[in-house]
Amino acid sequence: MERKTILNIIVILMFMALLLGLLNLDILQGAKFCRLSDSNCIRLISQSGCRGNILDRDGQLIVGSKISYDVMILPQDLGNIDQPLLLISRILGCEIKELKDTFKRNFVSSSIPVTVASNIDSKEAIVLGEYKVEQPSIIVAPKPLRYYPYGALAAHVIGYVNEIDRWRLTKLEDYGYKTKDIVGFGGVEEKYDYYLRQEEGGLSVEVNHRGKFTRVLGFQPPRNGKDIILTIDLEIQQIVEENLAGRKGSVIIMDPDNGEILAMASYPNFNPAVFVHKRSKLIAGLFNDVDAPFMNRAIGSSYPPASVFKMVVAAAGLETKKINTGSNFVCQGSTLVGQRRFKCWDTHGPEDIFQGIAHSCDVFFYKTGLLAGAQNIHDYALKFGLGKNIGFELIGETSGFIPSPLWRKINKFQNWYDGDTANLSIGQGDCLVTPLQAVNMLAVFANRGYLTSPYIVKNVGGIDLTAKKKRLTAVPIRQSTLEIINKGLRKVVSDERGTGKVLANLPVQVAGKTGTAQVSRGATHAWFVGFFPADKPRYVICVFLENGGPGYAACLLTKQIIEAMDQQGII
Amino acid sequence: MRNSFFKIFVLVLVISILGIFTIYSSTYQKTGTQWQDIYKRQMLWLTIGLSCFFLMSRFNYRKLWDANYFIYGIALFFLLLVFSLGVIRLGAQRWLKIAWFNFQPSEFAKLAIIIFLARYFSRKSIDYTSLLSGKFGIFQGIILPFIFVAMPMFLIIEQPDLGSGLMLMLVFVGLLYLTHVRLKYIFILLACLILPLPFFWHFLHDYQKQRLLVFLNPNIDPLGAGYTIIQSRIAIGSGGFFGKGWLRGSQSQLYFLPESHTDFIFATFSEQWGFLGGSLLILMYYLIIRQGFLIAQRTQDSFGSLLAYGISLLLTLQVFINIAMNMGLAPVVGLPLPLMSYGGSSILVTLTALGILVNIDRTRNVF
Repeated sequence: MERKTILNIIVILMFMALLLGLLNLDILQGAKFCRLSDSNCIRLISQSGCRGNILDRDGQLIVGSKISYDVMILPQDLGNIDQPLLLISRILGCEIKELKDTFKRNFVSSSIPVTVASNIDSKEAIVLGEYKVEQPSIIVAPKPLRYYPYGALAAHVIGYVNEIDRWRLTKLEDYGYKTKDIVGFGGVEEKYDYYLRQEEGGLSVEVNHRGKFTRVLGFQPPRNGKDIILTIDLEIQQIVEENLAGRKGSVIIMDPDNGEILAMASYPNFNPAVFVHKRSKLIAGLFNDVDAPFMNRAIGSSYPPASVFKMVVAAAGLETKKINTGSNFVCQGSTLVGQRRFKCWDTHGPEDIFQGIAHSCDVFFYKTGLLAGAQNIHDYALKFGLGKNIGFELIGETSGFIPSPLWRKINKFQNWYDGDTANLSIGQGDCLVTPLQAVNMLAVFANRGYLTSPYIVKNVGGIDLTAKKKRLTAVPIRQSTLEIINKGLRKVVSDERGTGKVLANLPVQVAGKTGTAQVSRGATHAWFVGFFPADKPRYVICVFLENGGPGYAACLLTKQIIEAMDQQGII
Repeated sequence: MRNSFFKIFVLVLVISILGIFTIYSSTYQKTGTQWQDIYKRQMLWLTIGLSCFFLMSRFNYRKLWDANYFIYGIALFFLLLVFSLGVIRLGAQRWLKIAWFNFQPSEFAKLAIIIFLARYFSRKSIDYTSLLSGKFGIFQGIILPFIFVAMPMFLIIEQPDLGSGLMLMLVFVGLLYLTHVRLKYIFILLACLILPLPFFWHFLHDYQKQRLLVFLNPNIDPLGAGYTIIQSRIAIGSGGFFGKGWLRGSQSQLYFLPESHTDFIFATFSEQWGFLGGSLLILMYYLIIRQGFLIAQRTQDSFGSLLAYGISLLLTLQVFINIAMNMGLAPVVGLPLPLMSYGGSSILVTLTALGILVNIDRTRNVF
């Protein structure tokens, strides 16, 4: 071949190589380089909105957001970092070395402001703001933070906010949650996080090779979260918490006509503000506390209902017509069931159904229970909403448990004996009930025959949910039965030997039932469930004290709460 | 005759206008009047360059035969002048300040050497029919022309401008190959050049060593010597098929890419116009070079033919090395992209060379 031709071919090959190189960069690796190019020059600066407020039923703020201030430094155009840091350290009264370390740790790029101190108070913020002319690189940026004007009030209902954890993130990633997002934990904050959550807005800006701002590419205004109105009545909640404080247990007050929770308290509680201010020592202390302050005892824990359960037994007896108002059983302090002697807590003598409830006579209910049968008692308990989840909106509800012969057979391969029926009749044994179930059960008596479904959120972002949430289910039970039991419940307070007679002298007529639950270890649990005013009930109350002693203790607490409510003119 | 003149003229015009647009796009955001006016200066250079092109296309190239020692001497003189009086910019002493502009003698020297070599190898024997070069021995065929090439080349490499120097050597080897000098001699020359290369490593400047190392792996120093290559590859690659559009290239316009209007103008152009624009540009360069080769083959006169080959080869190598360097396929050397890159000397010399090329074709028809 001629040399010219070879040279020609070589030149053609060279240009082919260039084309192939271009093809490789542009088409085959184009996407990769596009990404690299974007990350070269596009920076996002986020601006956050406010998380939604949580209000009580009258629109009073329970949890809101307060503006706090962050001090940031814009590294762009910054000659000497020491000068602005010195100023900040002088005003905030902190070590300059600390600030420098924070600056180094948080530095991303020269166009993104670096936070050196967060949550400073407004006074310091104003002082720093005055140096804007001399030190233009110092930025004082407002940042909304969760704010709890009443501290720990209704902490279990509300929950707290914190940085999202790994488990929640994997679940919620698809809904636009990111790492380091602040999300709700527990209570309404978690359940309604999607609505409360603010939408982050921000700027996307273009920067040049030095990271210097060149122009704004886009701006999306941040959006505030939606407000949530609870059914909680702030005054009642405050009264309840003040009186419960210092004792382990929970108090629920509910409107029996529609199931709105007016107050729900659980103690020991926690102050959600510790998570906002990242008091890690306090938080660790709370998590390690053996008394489980994060547990909402009103819904998350179930206990033997003891005498509170007796109204279920009474209803079962009356409905199955095994007893009537004329039935009388003589209490001699104990009775023989099979080979075993079952004791009463006192010797009551002859008792009819009214006295039986009023005096909480165990013998009366052993006999009634044996007549009605364990399966009937179980069935009626379920009709009153016990033994299953009531579908409350807050997270962490437990279902409690009502045993039955069938369950015993299937799960434990054991027979059911009369002794078990006797135990069930006074609410002991395997029987477990949450305070919320107890209050829900009592509402049936208060509103004359309807099972409510308790709820706590009334309104989300201006949309009223009451119509949707208010669900009343008629309990298939005769009115006469309800009236008989109601009369008995009233006698608990009004009878001079009634277990709740301490509540007799209140300005409002109270009806209810006490309970003293035997536990395997420690002092008994104290129960009081009741409603008032007795003739036209507006409130159902459940007071439960864990290891709080006899039912009398719960009655005393109820008395204090009702007195305080009366003083404030709520009733 | 009109044909090749017209084709080359149109291609040159299109490429250089694209070049002006690209220079504008890469500098319009910079502050300072010297940056704002840079595309206007390039327009001025283009106008002067085009008049050179027309002038040379009318100027009988045979006169270069006579003037060739003179041209060679001037080139050498300017290079020596640079060596002593040159303006130092970007760490290299490559420019002569003449009146209000900076002149780069190495650009001129490239053309001068090509003219000299074409003249040297097209000497004919008395009977005026066959070329002498076929009968050259090793001294006349290799050593003597090598000395003539090596003198200016040494001065250019010392500036330091390794890229231009090595490119001259490649043009020399290419021309040798096209003359009738025996292949054996060429291989001896190549062996002499390549074998001591490891030895020359020690004579390289630090930055030159680094550029070579970085060429092998740009990521060893991503913010230093490898930065340009990485940014240039990102610029070309992010263009995609259609490109980001004029004035939308974020790499070049936000100054991530250094030298975006001179050596790395291909990356700037390619970012904005994508694969489509880039490949069309490469095609246009090829078409010009193809015209050059066709002219060289058509020409009966061996001086004209060799001259045309030399000019085409020079263009080929500059375009190839520059674009390959933009794509990270060749080490970074300070070579401009002919007709596109900002720079008066480059555009003047390239257009003058193309004018000569056109004239060779024109004169052939006169015979």
